[in-house]
Amino acid sequence: MSSMDLPADGRGGPAAEVRTRAARAVSAPRLSWLTLALMTTSSVASLRAAPTMAVYGLACVFLYIVPAIVFLLPTALVSAELASGWDGGVYNWVSQGLSKPLGFLAVWCQFAMTIFYYPSLLAYVASTIAYVVNPALASSGLYTAIVIIVLYWTGVWVSARGTGAVAGLASWGLVIGTLIPGALLVVLGGVFLGQGNASAAPMNASHILPAWTGLASLVLIVNNFLSYSGMEMNAVHVSSLKDPPREFPKSMFLAMGLVLLIFILPALAISWVVPADQLSLTAGVMQAFDAFFQYFDVGWLTPVIAVGLVAASLGGMLTWLAGPSKGLLLISRQEGYLPPFLQRLNSHGVQQNILVTQGVVTTAIALMYAFIPNVSSAYWIFSVITTQVYLIVYLLMFVAAIRLRRLQPEHPRGYRAPLLVTLCVTGLVASAAAMVIGFVPSSQFGGGSVWAYVLIVAGGLLVLGVIIPFCCLRFRKPSWRTVDAADPAAGGAA
Amino acid sequence: MSPTRFASEHRWIYVGAIVVLVGMLITGILVYTQQHHNIQANKKAQELSGQLEAAGYRVPDQDQIVSTLGTSGGAVCASPGSVLKNALWLQNISNGAAGPGQRPVIGDRRAIEVEALILGVYCPDELVKYQDKLEEIKTSDTVKN
Repeated sequence: MSSMDLPADGRGGPAAEVRTRAARAVSAPRLSWLTLALMTTSSVASLRAAPTMAVYGLACVFLYIVPAIVFLLPTALVSAELASGWDGGVYNWVSQGLSKPLGFLAVWCQFAMTIFYYPSLLAYVASTIAYVVNPALASSGLYTAIVIIVLYWTGVWVSARGTGAVAGLASWGLVIGTLIPGALLVVLGGVFLGQGNASAAPMNASHILPAWTGLASLVLIVNNFLSYSGMEMNAVHVSSLKDPPREFPKSMFLAMGLVLLIFILPALAISWVVPADQLSLTAGVMQAFDAFFQYFDVGWLTPVIAVGLVAASLGGMLTWLAGPSKGLLLISRQEGYLPPFLQRLNSHGVQQNILVTQGVVTTAIALMYAFIPNVSSAYWIFSVITTQVYLIVYLLMFVAAIRLRRLQPEHPRGYRAPLLVTLCVTGLVASAAAMVIGFVPSSQFGGGSVWAYVLIVAGGLLVLGVIIPFCCLRFRKPSWRTVDAADPAAGGAA
Repeated sequence: MSPTRFASEHRWIYVGAIVVLVGMLITGILVYTQQHHNIQANKKAQELSGQLEAAGYRVPDQDQIVSTLGTSGGAVCASPGSVLKNALWLQNISNGAAGPGQRPVIGDRRAIEVEALILGVYCPDELVKYQDKLEEIKTSDTVKN
């Protein structure tokens, strides 16, 4: 962790000087639009999902394209317009379009859901490492706990060094962990078909659409909308671009293309080579990659792709550590929603204490995940609750975008999304549908009571998405405000 | 700020990351257990192929089965019933998200049930636990055959 804590309310003297430097470090142009595009892609896409979706064969294209039309396109274009006009990301868009408390709610929801995301992501990383080193390790609570805690706190340390460190690692993580291995999978898949082999999954017109089995198919299609969640998250770094109004939309369009390619092509390539039925879930996604490479007698590539997946996952984690916490800091400094302790910056201008506090909570959850069987067995329910909480962000963002077009039509925007209202209504309906579908019990709940499931999910949503942010708003103090909302260094009103 | 200055500011972080990843890569390649082709592995692969065919599944290439599962079942048979593996298994029955949008779905029956055939051939001792797990989850036919 960086050596110097900066009181956010420093007055004069060396502290004020360092604080000014920190503010400059936050706002100075430090990112290229290409780096931001790679960061955005890294936040959303990796090869992790490829074996899961390869099971559906050609229908995986449908399962990614439909959500792309109704969710990815609205999210990307709307956030491109908003970021090209207003700094600060989702908290500022919602604050300007709706209200400051709702702006806080939006960024809180974006931040809070990540707390439960890190243990599951890092448990997956631990199992990926174990697959190539010693598969038996994946069953060890001690091993899993050590991997989660070491990697998480290393991530916190890197994030505390500033956006530059995060940007570099996330971008390179994407290149070596997703783009190169993804291209390799597609090339080998092409070679497989080029050799005259029949695809393991049927690639004919009757397999373009997924099987329709009523509610289960609806759950699959609608839940896939969430594959693209996170596209707007890196907009919090928009002020780090040289020319945000022009560069952010470019960055978003490139990220959108990359995300689609990363999701669709490797999944298809795997489905050509490995029969869906052999994509074992017990051994994790590595089993599918192993089977894929074994066909070509290049099994030694399995550990190579494992390292790539680890690099990409950690790069993605860094972007999530750096993004929502920064948004939470910016609005809290302006409105005093968090105590001054949590608003402190280090010498790199990073919200060190928010990251550390989040780290303590994450560590506790990770230890429970690793050592308490009831927690690990039920952990999947947290991904239902947290995705429900995340959908609140999208509902607020789309409504705010419509309001901003009406309330501030002349506000300069570098990019104006075509048919904005249509896009917002589409995104709004898609987000609402995903939220409703979130109450349908999934496989893991088995034959339990539907109402019990609804109560658990609704209870989690209420606590995480309503009660906690309400308490922050209720107990805030005017004296906790540490910057003026009009201060451009605060990433405020643009 | 130029990419060069970026790199120099965080040089030690990048160097550290590269060292760790290269170390993991070398370790992974050295210790990764390539399943061996031998009479027993071929026999088990044939047995699995027969069971897959009888159950109406597509049968993978024989060499592919041998190389992936060998004689012991490889990673599939490494404590599949353990608590943490079960947790990951449950999390993997999910949508197509690779980030925090990952969320459970109603999984495909055949894709989940086929594992019982693999366990039955390679590590029958683990089969009962897996069948118990299967009884606790809800599935549907979401994959078109």
